[in-house]
Amino acid sequence: MILQFIISMFATLSFAVLFAAPKSELVFCGLTGAIGWLVYLIGMNFDFGTALANLTATFALTVISRIIAAVRKNPVTIYLITGIFPLVPGAGIYYTSYYFIMNDMNEFSHYGMQTIKVAGAIVLGIIFGFALPQSWFNALHRRGR
Amino acid sequence: MAVTKEILALAVEMGDALLRNGAEVYRVEDTVMHILKAYEIENYDVYVLSNGIFASANEDRDDACSMIRHVPLGTTHLGRIAALNQLSREICSHDCSLIDAWTRLDECKSIPFGKQSIHVFFCGLGCGCFSYLFGGMPLDAVISFFVGMLLQLFLFGLKRHKNSKFITNILGSALVTLLSLVVLSLGAPILYDKVIIGSIMPLVPGIALTTSIRDFFNGDYLSGAIHMIDAILTAFCIAVGVGAVITIYRFVMGGALLA
Repeated sequence: MILQFIISMFATLSFAVLFAAPKSELVFCGLTGAIGWLVYLIGMNFDFGTALANLTATFALTVISRIIAAVRKNPVTIYLITGIFPLVPGAGIYYTSYYFIMNDMNEFSHYGMQTIKVAGAIVLGIIFGFALPQSWFNALHRRGR
Repeated sequence: MAVTKEILALAVEMGDALLRNGAEVYRVEDTVMHILKAYEIENYDVYVLSNGIFASANEDRDDACSMIRHVPLGTTHLGRIAALNQLSREICSHDCSLIDAWTRLDECKSIPFGKQSIHVFFCGLGCGCFSYLFGGMPLDAVISFFVGMLLQLFLFGLKRHKNSKFITNILGSALVTLLSLVVLSLGAPILYDKVIIGSIMPLVPGIALTTSIRDFFNGDYLSGAIHMIDAILTAFCIAVGVGAVITIYRFVMGGALLA
């Protein structure tokens, strides 16, 4: 679990470099990604199912990004965009197209539906995360504008 | 008289820079409005789309002016967004005169991307890590690391030719698939699907998806739809690239099924 945490941190951090995040924020980008992935893993361990695990993970991720953004006085986008990468259904896209080509319609529809469900769960997770009122986060940076 | 124009130009230019580097519509609109307000323009309208800005100020007075900008979807640069955000904070707290703001804006816009070699290395590192996270063995991660580095080199090469995004994504994912199948054919005991999944991560439309959701959430349905279509088409292109190479591989290997 700790190994997974560290590796997901490095994975997110490297993508933050690719999108030219400010150097001082790289560690925080890595941290948000790692926390999101950790929540996802815990969800999977408790048999939440992929969709619900993704939803809780994105929700946690969004809240954490907002907290860090408030403390560090930077746009939320920086942490959210990089942190979301471990959860984006890249594997789903791959398996869906793979089974489509293999003409295995059972597996194709299984993975296709799952990819759509995961994407939907991510959408909901972010939306719930942003539904929390900004005033809760504003308390974290009184010196802001 | 010319002051209104000057202020509006600054505000719109700033919005332009933000949008170009991948900020979401809400932030751009908010920033433009705050700057106009900070320089004491009361009567203004701002409408931002994910690829355009429309703004007008002091419509009912003699010095009325309006501006339209077309902003093509570009590459995301988070560092510039952060710097611009900082600048807009300073303008709003009146720490920054109009002339200073222009020079600062130019500085923000010219924050460079990192060195290519650094990008290549980190792309590889990211791919390797993701390959491991998605269930690959350490060996898969190592292969993925090299495939990812090659992918980034390839993307830099393509950039010079101004190819469309579709072609870039199709060719990129095809290259990744090809490389991992070649490694497999050489007899290395890899889980080639984990290698592919890890290495296509730099192409996967995570940013477009996130931005799109945030646009929807803020009620900018049109901009959200633009980004959503972008995300879906990118995913589709990746699928095409991966699929084409696997089909050809099967054909060449005489229909031998991949594990």
